[in-house]
Amino acid sequence: MASVAFRNIEKAYGKVKVIHGIGFDIHDGEFVVLVGPSGCGKSTLLRMLAGLEEISGGEILIDGKVVNELESKDRDIAMVFQSYALYPHMTVGENMAFSLRLRKADKATTDERVNKAAKILNLDPLLDRYPRELSGGQRQRVAMGRAIVRDPKVFLFDEPLSNLDAKLRVAMRAEIKALHQRLKTTTVYVTHDQIEAMTMADRIVVMHDGIIEQIGTPLELFDRPANLFVAQFIGSPSMNVVQGTLRSAGGSAHVDALGAQWPAPVGGRDGLAVHYGIRPTDIALAADGQGIAARVIVVEPTGAETELLLQIGESSGQEGQFVVVTHGRTNVQPDDTVHLRVEARHAHVFDAGTGKRVA
Amino acid sequence: MKAKRMSWKKVSNEAKLLLIGIPVFLWTIIPVYHLFLFAISGRDSATSGRLWPKEPTLQNFETVFMQKHYYLNHFWLQLGNSLMIAVAVGVITLFVATTAAFAISRLKVRGGRTVMNMALFTYFIPAAFLAVPMYRTMATYGLLNNRWSLVLAMVTIASPYCIWVLKQASDKLPWELDEAARIDGATPLQLFRLVYVPLMVPSLVAVGTYALLLAWNEYLYGFLLLSKETDLTLAVALGNFLAADDSPWELLMATGLIYALPPAAIYYAFKRYMVGGLTAGAVKS
Amino acid sequence: MTTATLTALKARKPLGPWEFWGRMLVLPYLLVFVVFVLYPVGYGLWLARHPQSYVKLFEDPIFFRTAINTVVFLVVAINLKMVVALGLSGFFVRTNGWIKALSVLFILPWAVPSIPTILSVRFMLNPEWGVINTTIYKLTGLDGPNWLNDPTLALSFSMLMHIWKSLPFWTLILIAGRLSIPAEQYEAASVDGATTLQKFRFITWPSMKGLYLTSTILSMIWTLGDFNSVYLLTGGGPADLTHVLATLGIRYLRLDQIDLAMASIVVALPLVLPLVYVMMKRLSK
Repeated sequence: MASVAFRNIEKAYGKVKVIHGIGFDIHDGEFVVLVGPSGCGKSTLLRMLAGLEEISGGEILIDGKVVNELESKDRDIAMVFQSYALYPHMTVGENMAFSLRLRKADKATTDERVNKAAKILNLDPLLDRYPRELSGGQRQRVAMGRAIVRDPKVFLFDEPLSNLDAKLRVAMRAEIKALHQRLKTTTVYVTHDQIEAMTMADRIVVMHDGIIEQIGTPLELFDRPANLFVAQFIGSPSMNVVQGTLRSAGGSAHVDALGAQWPAPVGGRDGLAVHYGIRPTDIALAADGQGIAARVIVVEPTGAETELLLQIGESSGQEGQFVVVTHGRTNVQPDDTVHLRVEARHAHVFDAGTGKRVA
Repeated sequence: MKAKRMSWKKVSNEAKLLLIGIPVFLWTIIPVYHLFLFAISGRDSATSGRLWPKEPTLQNFETVFMQKHYYLNHFWLQLGNSLMIAVAVGVITLFVATTAAFAISRLKVRGGRTVMNMALFTYFIPAAFLAVPMYRTMATYGLLNNRWSLVLAMVTIASPYCIWVLKQASDKLPWELDEAARIDGATPLQLFRLVYVPLMVPSLVAVGTYALLLAWNEYLYGFLLLSKETDLTLAVALGNFLAADDSPWELLMATGLIYALPPAAIYYAFKRYMVGGLTAGAVKS
Repeated sequence: MTTATLTALKARKPLGPWEFWGRMLVLPYLLVFVVFVLYPVGYGLWLARHPQSYVKLFEDPIFFRTAINTVVFLVVAINLKMVVALGLSGFFVRTNGWIKALSVLFILPWAVPSIPTILSVRFMLNPEWGVINTTIYKLTGLDGPNWLNDPTLALSFSMLMHIWKSLPFWTLILIAGRLSIPAEQYEAASVDGATTLQKFRFITWPSMKGLYLTSTILSMIWTLGDFNSVYLLTGGGPADLTHVLATLGIRYLRLDQIDLAMASIVVALPLVLPLVYVMMKRLSK
């Protein structure tokens, strides 16, 4: 149980810099998810914390102590790998006991710790099996069991669910979360899947091209993304974004885009080139024919919801496609014309040049 | 009518194959059968030209095992030398090659690529070319009348290929295993002993066997480096049989057969490993 | 030491355990390499430094003869062997029962050490007692020729011996190459109406070309080093007329003409080194 701090972390491979001055704190007992597209540097950051990569610049602290020069084994961390990394020539029990065996712990302690971890993860019947005899989900649990036996200060997860099928992933997500609630160990979790991030994290760190785009709780990131990247990365289906011009006068504002006027929150100067964003779930279909006109292209009913693909602005010369998600069923058919209603408080306005949130 | 035509085609195909198969069979078997034939024949039947001796006898083997002939005076000692040297070469080569492959492949030691290339280079230079300077070198090191000179020479010759094979096999082990072990707290030696070696056992067996057989089968280096009769390997002793004008050929064949049995047995037992290992050496798959 | 040097030394990172053991574990092989490869090679080249040695070498008619023998050996034996191996690789991929059994037998020359088998053939060729001549006498009443006393015949038999020993290995390699060609290609060709010859020309050969070439090059290097096939069969005779480079060096060594021995090896290097270079490029990845 410990806090983790990154101070001005930089990483370069030869002349190529891949991480540019990252700094943030993780509180004791927190579950923090590092999320971002491939190549953003999240795994590299995790591996620097683990001691598997050299730190080119800056400091990493665990429990207030700088660990840059410490070997992995002295940092009191445990890691769960994407490919489980179980020792093929050892049984499940031996895999889990390995770290204790290296420290020459006595049999009693080893057995006790291994059995305790096995119980938590329902691995008791599997202790004498070999990894090759186990399913993917079972192997992942053994990998977690190995980490639990260590009783470390920090748990590190490197995309542990990527090799599992969708259904198993959902089940394992819940298990990992439950484990964290039970053990309350500080956890750093890396994934490229924003749904995993949203469902599991206390706080999310969104990374992109070696920098942090935003840190916040899942709902903070969802409701108030700080920039265009986070806005489009978080949320599924992703946010609708169009380019337009901000018009602000008196106490109200709107954005001109796709030949229509889109309600926007106040903030930002008049005439600014912006990106206007609105989530598919924040667009309503007006029953009364008032609102922004759109032509239906595709209707995808998913049972509880209906996803519509719309073409907007065909008459204006600027065209764009929007996705709208409505609850329940609709009678709408392809080629129908519908009208859209948007509330200003649900809209997100980003500076077209910097991508940063304007309002 | 159709059935008859089809079976005629089959027959003619088989005939064509036999046309190749029979010569191949004869070509392959004749020198070996000849060896076997005269090992179990008495002295006189050499001139008889029969395919199977009139009175097959184990007399020759008895002579060999009892060391009853001048050339066989030290048979058991020489057999023991061959065995001891082969095993020593196998074990030492295994040690040298395994540590080097581990350092190059898993520890990614600096200059590992260079060492690998140096080893590969040594492997390709014909051993017969290295023999002359090696002989003088052993003289310089004072090892000439010492069986260890042969052991060390064979270790030198066998190591490069072994390192190469082990490195190829090592590279196939997933990286995360080393990382997981490091995080679990393993030191480099613990990683080597508890994770690397257990996972490499099949390759280690193949490589150790290769080195062992290489030493057992070696003639030239034994011929150059060993001179005392009690130091000789059986291979060199066999060659010495030829010194006389009136060689006891049937004894030579019997001794040769004894000498040939262990490698043949090992090759056939480990066929899969030997083929796999050696084809990996020359084929870039 | 100046303060600048001291600070520079202090600033250098101390060797972590992983780097330390990386170097330690590669040390055994490095030792072997330096003591038993680097030094002998250096020493050998140093021994070969006198231009006089080369003059003496080129004036020696035996050397001239040896060079020709070696070239003949390489060109004839290797090409013959590889072509036969290529053909046999097609033969052995068939799945008839007896062919599979034959393929197991076929490995025998490779599995059995060469010394007994070469001596067995030498005995077969013995003009008085060997089976060949005794059979000829039985059938025709005539005395067969003294096979190993004719330089051409003797060299030919050495080549046959070499081919006998090494054919299985190369056949196995080429079989592996053939097996990597998907069967569908042949099936599609059959449907298209291709003859056996056309299938070879358009499917088999393009896939096997690279492997065949690599094998030929490697075989050239190894054949250059084949000491046993010549020495144990002919001893280089009669009258030193069947020596090849591999045996010539040893001949000079035994005559205590170490400078000529080394010179003969150095002279072969312009042939060997390019081949080695090519092989290393093909394999070291």
